[in-house]
Amino acid sequence: MNNSLLVVLVASGVTYGTPLLFAALGELLAERSGVLNLGVEGMMLVGAVMGFWTVERVHANAGLTLALAIVVGAVAGTAMAAIHAFLVVTLRANQIVSGLALTIFAGAVGLSSYLGNNLNLADIPATHSFHALLPKGMQNLPVVGPILFGQNILVYVSWLCVIAVGLYLSRTRPGLNVRAVGESPAAADTMGINVTAYRYAHTLVGGAFAGVAGASITLAITPQWVDGITGGAGWIAIALVIFSFWRPELCLVGAYFFGALQSLAPQLQARNISLGPTVLWTNSLPYVMTIVVLVVVSSGTARRRLGAPSALGVPYVREEH
Amino acid sequence: MRISVEQRLRRPRWLTVAVPFGSVVFAFLVAAVVLVVTGHDPVSTYRQLFDAAFLEKQSIDQTLIVATPLAFMGLAAAAAFRMKLYNIGAEGQMYLGAITGAAAGLYFGGRGGPAPFPIAAMVVAGMLGGLAWALIPGILRAFFRTNEILTSLLLNYVAGLLLTYLIFESESYWRQTKGFNATVFPTGKPLPPNAVWPGWTLHVQGGTTIPLGAFFGVGAAVVLWILYRLTRFGFEARVLGDSPRAARYAGVRMRRKILAVMAVSGAIAGLGGASQVGDFSHALDGDPNGLQKIGYGYTGIVVAALGRYNPFAVVLIAFLLGGLENAGNALQGPSFPAGLVGVIQGIILFSALGGEILSRHRIRITRKTTHDTAAPARAPEPAA
Amino acid sequence: MKTTRRLVLAALLTATVALIGASTGAAKHSAGPFKVAWIYVGPHNDGGWSQAHDAGRLYVQKMLGSKVQTTYKENIAVGAQFNQAVASLAAQGYQMIFATSYGYVTPQIAAKYPNIKFEQATGTLVSKNVSEYFGRAEDTIFLSGMAAGYASKTGKIGDVLAYPIPEVVRHANAFTLGAQYAHPGATVRVVWTHSWFAPAAEKKAAQSLVAAGVDVLGQNVDSPATGQFAESIGDPWVGYDSDSSKFAPKSWLTASVYNWGLYYLKRVKEAMAGRWTPGFYYGTINDGFTTLAPFGPGVTAAEKAKILAVEKKIENGTFYEFEGPLYDQTGKLLVAKGVKMDVLKGGTNSLYGMNWFVKGVIGSPKG
Repeated sequence: MNNSLLVVLVASGVTYGTPLLFAALGELLAERSGVLNLGVEGMMLVGAVMGFWTVERVHANAGLTLALAIVVGAVAGTAMAAIHAFLVVTLRANQIVSGLALTIFAGAVGLSSYLGNNLNLADIPATHSFHALLPKGMQNLPVVGPILFGQNILVYVSWLCVIAVGLYLSRTRPGLNVRAVGESPAAADTMGINVTAYRYAHTLVGGAFAGVAGASITLAITPQWVDGITGGAGWIAIALVIFSFWRPELCLVGAYFFGALQSLAPQLQARNISLGPTVLWTNSLPYVMTIVVLVVVSSGTARRRLGAPSALGVPYVREEH
Repeated sequence: MRISVEQRLRRPRWLTVAVPFGSVVFAFLVAAVVLVVTGHDPVSTYRQLFDAAFLEKQSIDQTLIVATPLAFMGLAAAAAFRMKLYNIGAEGQMYLGAITGAAAGLYFGGRGGPAPFPIAAMVVAGMLGGLAWALIPGILRAFFRTNEILTSLLLNYVAGLLLTYLIFESESYWRQTKGFNATVFPTGKPLPPNAVWPGWTLHVQGGTTIPLGAFFGVGAAVVLWILYRLTRFGFEARVLGDSPRAARYAGVRMRRKILAVMAVSGAIAGLGGASQVGDFSHALDGDPNGLQKIGYGYTGIVVAALGRYNPFAVVLIAFLLGGLENAGNALQGPSFPAGLVGVIQGIILFSALGGEILSRHRIRITRKTTHDTAAPARAPEPAA
Repeated sequence: MKTTRRLVLAALLTATVALIGASTGAAKHSAGPFKVAWIYVGPHNDGGWSQAHDAGRLYVQKMLGSKVQTTYKENIAVGAQFNQAVASLAAQGYQMIFATSYGYVTPQIAAKYPNIKFEQATGTLVSKNVSEYFGRAEDTIFLSGMAAGYASKTGKIGDVLAYPIPEVVRHANAFTLGAQYAHPGATVRVVWTHSWFAPAAEKKAAQSLVAAGVDVLGQNVDSPATGQFAESIGDPWVGYDSDSSKFAPKSWLTASVYNWGLYYLKRVKEAMAGRWTPGFYYGTINDGFTTLAPFGPGVTAAEKAKILAVEKKIENGTFYEFEGPLYDQTGKLLVAKGVKMDVLKGGTNSLYGMNWFVKGVIGSPKG
């Protein structure tokens, strides 16, 4: 029963969807403040390499080291986001190009590769990595066992993050303010909200989440470091934000959906079930489905895209009087 | 004390040149710091970079091999980005152009006929292939309001899978099936000799060949420049990019423009793909460790951004960045760090982006207590 | 016009730097140590294919010391990038290049640099200055398959594979035959990752195999992700390419390992002495080209003895895993009893052209 296709797919969805969820939550926050950050892939890669580095260099017990590694990953992601924030908030550069530049700079043939190679992080297993948290007994319970109880602590933390971000955006004053900033910075400015500060803060926090997402890959999913280990997850995370209508709880659903989608082809292959006419169809399926989902979500019957902050991507320039 | 960024009333001409120049210089300075910090001598590294890119025997030849696809990718990106259509899919459109171009070359080349004809067929087929692939995100954007950044990017992955599939995982028309070698490892069917694109050999540096594709690239730049500067199409596209609302009031038809611009962008990228087959690989390269590994499409975006979407600047920068890539490959090894080329590229791009603001705004430091009679209020100009 | 001015200034900049560069550049020539280079398709420290080659390079450097100068280029794509790498190596006076991926060396590039000796791995082109090398990994993979067969309780084994090309299919067949030799009736389920090196995809493949019922994992891909997963659930694991036991100390059984270094040393010495001739080298266990990595804790002494006994028989020619009768997946007899499959001869039924799976493999050889 626990090895049935459905249970395995859902469980995989949770496991592989968690980095997507972290990265998407971060990007969601940045975009809510009106800043589009396409550099998620780059930030994740830097978080991945620095988190891994921490685990290799710090000699403390497993729990402490891993916690520290997550923090370091977050800091690394934040540092990368700071570059983007400075360029687009203060210098009002084009957000698209700046994000792409960040991906190139920090990405698989850039800084993350440089750091990983120069710090000799290749070809070594992670000294510590995240394992399933709860006892085997609970993990083997039918259905809920592998799906809910067989996960590592980062998964459970991600659930808390979803709740936290959701409450922040809907119930707290700063959360409501940031939504104003994203919708109409001029109006927010008039109300006395410091647009610059909000944009900086949320972009940096977005970077922190992306860094954690990257670290979760090198410390939990595949506990090793190689060039480009995120394999495009950053882009899926950006798609995920749109898919979720900028709502954290939908991010969770979407992340697990995309995570499961990525596991579909190998699962079917292993059971010798043919998914389509050719191998090409099977391999392309995750991408094609993502596009289809995006189209469905973006068109809709409403004239404007539901949930998108109106001022997303537009630099704010305060008028001088 | 307050630092305020004010918009300039007029953009002094000298600034628009000095700023990109200054950005590159600044970038190399920053990269030099990075090199020093990591134990490399920046002066000798830069000299080696330059030698490897332009001075050594055959270096320009090698640089052109990289610069040609980069020029196509840069022009494709510039064509779309200029209108704020963020076509990240040039990479995939190039693959499709390679597929259709190779098909045309294999088909028409084999049937004899004078040399120009199969090549012309490859050019047209390549452009059509890229165009068609670009129209997918174009249609999705025009009719379904779907963000073209993500759709074009995701389609890159699909195009790569298609390319690998045609050679590695199927017995397709493009795949070499004759001969023993063919059974050992999947390769593409080689182009017949009259479909191979010629080059123009100069007796410089021990024999430098300028590939036909390079000429097409310059030609594409000229066409793009004329299109955007001298035709109504281009004018409307630029207005749409700068101010969609104004364009709509002026009666510009958004949907058609989106499709048309994506088509142009995709066609240029597709031509780049045909050039890859005709100039360089002479067969369809479906090896995942081949064309797909390099990422010309993404570097092309950097080229377009640095060139501020001006076609001639894009070609020039493609040449320079091609030299940088070539030099990076030439230099890399145990003593030269991997990842450095990407870091330098990123720094150049950041500097150019940051410097951009200086040509449009000036930074003024004022005392808080001053009630000054500053310039009257102006509406903020949307940044490019 | 501002565009023109910008272009003029850019051109001036280039010219200035060119003048500075030209005035300080100097010719690079050095007689002295023999210069030999390696070109890798992946990172030199990928823990898999390219790293094994680099280990060979380091071995040559160690054995020949100051008589030789070695270098490498990594992450070089097949095609234009390879040609660029060769061009720059040639400009620096390198006399011998080991190209470690199929498709690197083309007749054109070989003709362009007639004075450089090219050695191409896994290929078939042989010419005046191009030689080929690969080896009988299928022998050691068979032996590693035996270890998998012994370790399996249910007889259901999984194999994570990269691309559906003959090299991989042949290796998967060897693995299966070995598993069946040790555990009659064993089956091998395969999943394709469509990449030589993709840790996440490999882990997903491994997970799906386990969910489908296998209890031992093997692979023909380059990262140890499968092993890390095996370790996390306590299943035994057979690796590939190198000794990756550190990634899964308890699960590790063994792996087929390439010792490129011995071949490299031989050829470099021959080139230095002027005795180098092109050919097609297909290494075996006897000349040390392939070996088994050290066994892990899960292999009992008795099993070890049996595996090594078969190894001995392969070495002295009394046993060959690809000797008939061999059946395909449908049960049809494709290789008659007593017939030994040859590497190159035999058309599509040669080892190099193998595109069918043996009986007992569950999955498609087409991907």
